[in-house]
Amino acid sequence: MTDPSHTATTYRAARALRWIWVIVAVALLCYLPVLLTERSILGVRLSNMQLLNLGLSQINLMLIAMLGALSLNYLTGCAGLISIGHAGFYAVGAMTAAMTGSQLGWPFPLVLVSAGAAGAIAGLLAGLPSLRVRGLYFVLSTFAMHYIVAFAFLEYQFKAFDVVGVPYKTAAFGTLELNSPMRWYFFLLPVVALVYWGLRNSLRTREGRVMMAMRDHELATTSVGVDVRILRLKAFVLSSAIAGVAGALYAYYLTNLNSEAFNINFAIQFIAMIIIGGMGSLPGSLVGAAVWLLLPSIITGFASQASDSTGFVRLVLVEHKAQLVQLIFGALVILLLIFAPGGVAGMGRQLRNRLATWRGRR
Amino acid sequence: MLAQVLFSGLALGSIYGLVALGFAVVFKATDVFNFAQGMFVVCGAFFAVTAINLLDLPFPIAILFIILAAATLGVVIHILLIQPLAGRPMLSVIMLTIALSIALRAIVEILFGSQGRNLTTPLPTGIFLVGDVRISQLHLTAALVSWACMAAFGAFFRYTSIGLLMRATADGHEAAVVSGVNVNVMNRLAWAIGSTLAAVGGVFLGQLQLASTDIESIGLLALPAVVIGGMQSIPGAIIGGLLVGLIEQLSATYISPKSSDIMIYGLLLVILMVRPWGLFGQRELGRV
Repeated sequence: MTDPSHTATTYRAARALRWIWVIVAVALLCYLPVLLTERSILGVRLSNMQLLNLGLSQINLMLIAMLGALSLNYLTGCAGLISIGHAGFYAVGAMTAAMTGSQLGWPFPLVLVSAGAAGAIAGLLAGLPSLRVRGLYFVLSTFAMHYIVAFAFLEYQFKAFDVVGVPYKTAAFGTLELNSPMRWYFFLLPVVALVYWGLRNSLRTREGRVMMAMRDHELATTSVGVDVRILRLKAFVLSSAIAGVAGALYAYYLTNLNSEAFNINFAIQFIAMIIIGGMGSLPGSLVGAAVWLLLPSIITGFASQASDSTGFVRLVLVEHKAQLVQLIFGALVILLLIFAPGGVAGMGRQLRNRLATWRGRR
Repeated sequence: MLAQVLFSGLALGSIYGLVALGFAVVFKATDVFNFAQGMFVVCGAFFAVTAINLLDLPFPIAILFIILAAATLGVVIHILLIQPLAGRPMLSVIMLTIALSIALRAIVEILFGSQGRNLTTPLPTGIFLVGDVRISQLHLTAALVSWACMAAFGAFFRYTSIGLLMRATADGHEAAVVSGVNVNVMNRLAWAIGSTLAAVGGVFLGQLQLASTDIESIGLLALPAVVIGGMQSIPGAIIGGLLVGLIEQLSATYISPKSSDIMIYGLLLVILMVRPWGLFGQRELGRV
């Protein structure tokens, strides 16, 4: 191992291998929407259950949720600021999109920028209590903020639109309209990749490392001359700007949105995603969002198979599918919290360590 | 008009105070910020539905059934879920209680259907007039029972030896362990008290409205109540509950029905900014 040329070769080989993996992943991700629309592989038709009852629009919603999960994990897992008000920033983004897009008629890219800016301002305001209170009290201030934003959105919707919801235009870049799930997919995929890459790199800068130090030991970080208050606000602004953009995307994707969609359960789902995926792990947030958004349709798919059963099984599987999904989610989060507090990312790390010891022993 | 609003505000506030008291007992004893308290209220309402509507038990036995069931629920949750998470970061515990409320809601809806149920108890339901204020007997009973429960638990914590041990445990786990107190039993007791108080609130709320999972959000009003009153303070929780009830009724009548949430949570935000330790709590000092 001491031979330098040998090390260089292994390094080069590892890098080549990584590129191969990236190319394979990109190819698979590009093939996925084709598979889900055609519903066949190389001419062989697949049944609905072989595709796990999934459709492309679930994948798109998952991609949008990934933005929310990434930004929340950046805030909570990496900066150590717990927020139960993340749906509030989604709501701010959607509300701004309604103002600039539906009322003023701005083009879609400008709407996204304005939603991000509004999210950032809202994040700055919501982060202000962090200057004064911390821990549980801060969590509660985000909780209170959520109700205030939800109320503002509701009032705005009733004043400017109607009870049914806010209508959004079809998203378009110039003349290119995002009018099919396929086009949305190829727009959302790079956005998620970009946000992921950006957040990952920002965590490797000096400020990112200081931020994680602040999460681990605030006092020690302060004593080496870091102004943690500014840092906290920065983290909050970045995270809520992303959430604001995600909110606008969500609204445009659904084309009609009622302000009541952003209730407290909407906020809770993001916390659940990062718990499932693993606190402080960006890839984990992607996994968590995927589990949270795709599992319901997989469960309902399997439950539909049991439609001819009777009695209690039928009561649970057929008549209460939504509740069954909720029950499984609740139980999943509880079990993970008790037995695998690191989430999926933590389990992956354990597995890798075990594999390494096993290899070392051989 | 004002007297009417004040009456219903105080009556509902008493129920919130009761639920908030249960919440504060749990928080003081085990440091768990229990987001499932709203679901405990729902469970209480459905225990009542089970005992009275389904099993047709006579009322005193039904009350006993509700209390036992609620206490068991609290103890089981503490043993199975809260104890394994001792010493974990705050978010894990908060999320556990949130996940618990999701799961409990699903179970209740699977067992009882997602539509609400009418809960009828032999409690008086008539209305009588004092001056020109219409006093609903059910509201009055709810308020009186809540006050009786609060007084009983106040006395329990103050004058009984178990209450003393519980206070000691809440003040310092280690000191209590050293003095030979079985801390786990004390904490289980706190959870049993917390869920029972919530269930009593749920029986009244279930009868004042429909017994459905929607009363969870009403039960969750205990959270701002506790924080406004001061999280470490038992009287604070009760007064916070009364305040929340009053604000809710006043703003719903004089501003708009939807504005009550924002008034309550706005006050919560103001309190958090100005006096984070609440109206009656003790200021926490940071130590280095």
